[in-house]
Amino acid sequence: MSKFDRWSILDALDVGIIVVDEQRCIVGWNDWIARVTATSKSAALGKSLYDVFPTLRNTRLPAAIDDSFQVGSSSILNHSLNTLLPLRGEGGQELLHNIIVRPASSGQCLLQINDVTVSVTRERVLRERQSARYHAIVDSAPDAIVTTGLDGKIQWVNVTAEQSFGYTPAELLGQPIDILLQQAGSLSQAFDQDAVLTQAPARPIQVLGRRKHGQSAQFDVSFAAWAADDRIFVTTIWRDVTERMAAEAALRESEERHRALSEALPQLVWICQSNGSFDYFNPQWHSYTGVAADKHDGSGWLNVIHETDRAGLEAAWEASLATGAVFDFDARLRRADGVYRWFKMRAIPIRSVTGRIARWFGTATDIADLVDARDSLLRSNEELEALVVERTREREVVLRQLHESQKMESIGRLTGGLAHDFNNLLSVILGGLNLLKKRVPSDPHTTRLMDGAIQGAERGATLTKRLLAFARRQDLKLEAVELQELVPNLSDFLRQSVGPGIAIVFDIQPDARPVKIDANQLELALINLAVNARDAMPDGGTLTISCHNEIAYGRNHAPSSLPSGDFVRVSVSDTGVGMTEATLAKALEPFFTTKGVGKGTGLGLSMVHGFTAQSGGAMTLASQVGKGTEVRLWLPCAGDGDLVSVASERKPVRIRRESMRILLVDDDALVRTSTADMLTDLGHVVLEEPSGADALRVLASDSEIDVVVTDFAMPEMNGFDLATKIRQMNGDMPIILATGYAELPIDATINFPRLAKPYTQEQLAEALNTVVNTADAAK
Amino acid sequence: MDANALTDIERDALAEIANIGVSRAAASLRQMVGEQVLLSVPAVELVTRQTAARLAGRGTTKLVAVQQSFEGPFSGSALLIFPETQSLQLVRSIVGEQHSLEDVIDLEQEALAETGNVILNACLGTIANVLRRTMRISLPSIIRGDGHSLFHAEGGEDLVLFLYIDFTIRNRDVQGFVALLMDLPSISALKQIVHDFINGIQSEPAGNVG
Repeated sequence: MSKFDRWSILDALDVGIIVVDEQRCIVGWNDWIARVTATSKSAALGKSLYDVFPTLRNTRLPAAIDDSFQVGSSSILNHSLNTLLPLRGEGGQELLHNIIVRPASSGQCLLQINDVTVSVTRERVLRERQSARYHAIVDSAPDAIVTTGLDGKIQWVNVTAEQSFGYTPAELLGQPIDILLQQAGSLSQAFDQDAVLTQAPARPIQVLGRRKHGQSAQFDVSFAAWAADDRIFVTTIWRDVTERMAAEAALRESEERHRALSEALPQLVWICQSNGSFDYFNPQWHSYTGVAADKHDGSGWLNVIHETDRAGLEAAWEASLATGAVFDFDARLRRADGVYRWFKMRAIPIRSVTGRIARWFGTATDIADLVDARDSLLRSNEELEALVVERTREREVVLRQLHESQKMESIGRLTGGLAHDFNNLLSVILGGLNLLKKRVPSDPHTTRLMDGAIQGAERGATLTKRLLAFARRQDLKLEAVELQELVPNLSDFLRQSVGPGIAIVFDIQPDARPVKIDANQLELALINLAVNARDAMPDGGTLTISCHNEIAYGRNHAPSSLPSGDFVRVSVSDTGVGMTEATLAKALEPFFTTKGVGKGTGLGLSMVHGFTAQSGGAMTLASQVGKGTEVRLWLPCAGDGDLVSVASERKPVRIRRESMRILLVDDDALVRTSTADMLTDLGHVVLEEPSGADALRVLASDSEIDVVVTDFAMPEMNGFDLATKIRQMNGDMPIILATGYAELPIDATINFPRLAKPYTQEQLAEALNTVVNTADAAK
Repeated sequence: MDANALTDIERDALAEIANIGVSRAAASLRQMVGEQVLLSVPAVELVTRQTAARLAGRGTTKLVAVQQSFEGPFSGSALLIFPETQSLQLVRSIVGEQHSLEDVIDLEQEALAETGNVILNACLGTIANVLRRTMRISLPSIIRGDGHSLFHAEGGEDLVLFLYIDFTIRNRDVQGFVALLMDLPSISALKQIVHDFINGIQSEPAGNVG
């Protein structure tokens, strides 16, 4: 083959051919290389290779050419490892090329330049496209990605792995993967040859990773093996779960704490879903109800609620479920032994992040003791209140009674004082009139005037007597009186008093005991009451007088003012018009009357009241309008002594008419003078003294005194004191006490004859006779 | 076999020659990589194929090798061998760490080929150069397999000149081997040449070498 032919073939090749001689001068240069270097054959031939391509001096090519000449070796220079010739394609683009250097025929070296641009570019585009996707994934991956060979040596790591473990890639590449682990070999499973070959999908392995400076971190490592060029790689993906595990641990701990709390609580605790279906009860619930754990799930728990409370509880529960409001209901829950106890059931909704109710957390607290305590407190409060009301009413009654008695007391005192003074005046008037009547010549006209004056004065005396009776200050002659005798004896007089239209019924217990009373006053009282009854029955009716023993009478049914003891109750009842409440309340007041003006004194009932009270008894009134009125007199029973004394007082009386020397003591000069006139008129000698002290002085000096007549009510030394002193000086001296009302001390032990004011001359004379005869009898 | 064993002085001589070769290769690699590259041959052995297979493979370890054949006063094939797991390390050291694993895998073939080419050329070339002989050395090719398949251990009585080789590139250490498979005549020729070299050195001033 000629030289020409050889080069025409080389020029047709699609590779570059350069031939250099031992001086590195270009001796061969084909068309392809001329084209891509833009250097024509003529320009290149004969030139030094390094002059045409100065940059080649700094590459490995000269050494390769040297070896080719010296040793005969062939070399390959890749574009990827070497920067070689500045070659341009037709479009001006850089051509990537590899160069093969071989020894040619003796003294020459062949450089073969292969254009790899197309294939490299295609591969690069493919790879870049792939890599772009790949990098987008692995570089942005939140997980560390580490690729190793089957030997566990690290071949590649992503950015997250660098950051996660704190190493630079250079520090990691080539290192065993154990460098990332606290415990070497804990990932060995990933490199198990058999497992890799079976390609079985493996579950992530949980490992304790090790960062550069030794800190620990928890990872879930998933892994997969893959092959490239017969080479097997294992890619491991490390998910840092340190925080998640910490959160899980915290959550577990929190749940554990809540569970412990709900099981430690003394309350019954339950939890249910948002629809109200129960799915948790603490052990206390089960131990209280005694029902197995699963029996109460859902709505089975309702069975332990007391039937009575169930409907209300369900309604409240439904309302809470619907509105999310706190559930609060008191209900009775059945205990294992069947006993129901009160519980406060309370539940609050637990809301999820979105605000929806996720669950309900509820408790049931035993409040049975509380409820009992509350009830008993309520009960005792009610009792206390009732007691207070009762006591208050009683107190009001007592107060009213006290007020009433105080009122009566003051009226009595006023009336008594008034009557006393009137009495004195009436004594003077009566005494004066009587003496006058004796001395004035008898003339029918004068006599009639005189008698009228005396009658008027006597009526005044009767009036004051009644006033004194009401004021309980009359002079009572207490003696044993047999009602079986007294009442029937009065019947004629009573029938006259009430008239024919009214029937009188006597209901006297045959064994009614004698009472200690002033018989005259009792008769007067019964007449008074009968007259009142008559007036209450203008159209006729029945008057009933009854007497019954009330032995050993306590306070229960008697008037409050009555002491306990033995009484005889004397009732005077009519079937008349009765009294209203208002009338009844005022009936006892003196001068209160329902009768027309001039028909009554208004002193009847008040006199009876005063008389019974003074006698140690009481009077009550009961009346109903239209039904009638009943007056009850509670009279004290007479003792044995009373019966005896009554008998002993009954003695025959002799009247003495001879003149006596009488010491008259009265602080009231008017009364004293009147009395002295009466005594003088009777033929006695009268020594008048205004006070007790004066009287004693007279007595001491005058031994001729026969009788002492003294007023009771005197300043400094009263009549009783005076009489007592005289009795001590001279035990035989007859003494008469003139008293307007019963004001002698109750415990008076010495019984002096008394003369009730006002008195007539006859009464005075009789009193004198009595004391003188008694004194004579005693001698 | 004992007849073919290397004497101490032969072993030292070959190691010296190999070190000269790899230091040349290191210079070339430095030009390629742009960083310091250190290569050294700490030991040299002459072993049977079976032994070589065992030494290289340590069992069933997968190996990757760059192979070049050579012809000259002694002939055979030269292999630069790494455990497969180290080869990516080596490639990454050469191409730089900016490349992704996929890039490294893509580049592995040509990068290994060129690196092996540089190292094997240097070794063989240095031997030829030192011994003042010329050879023809082929372009490199990549083969994978275990020790047995690389060394065709079951066939022939060929011996293997086994050189341990340490790489330090970008502060990364990679251990590999250079193996020269030769038939017995080639071994004898090599030994003869080495003897001549030793004699030559002993007759020359020491300073000229290197």
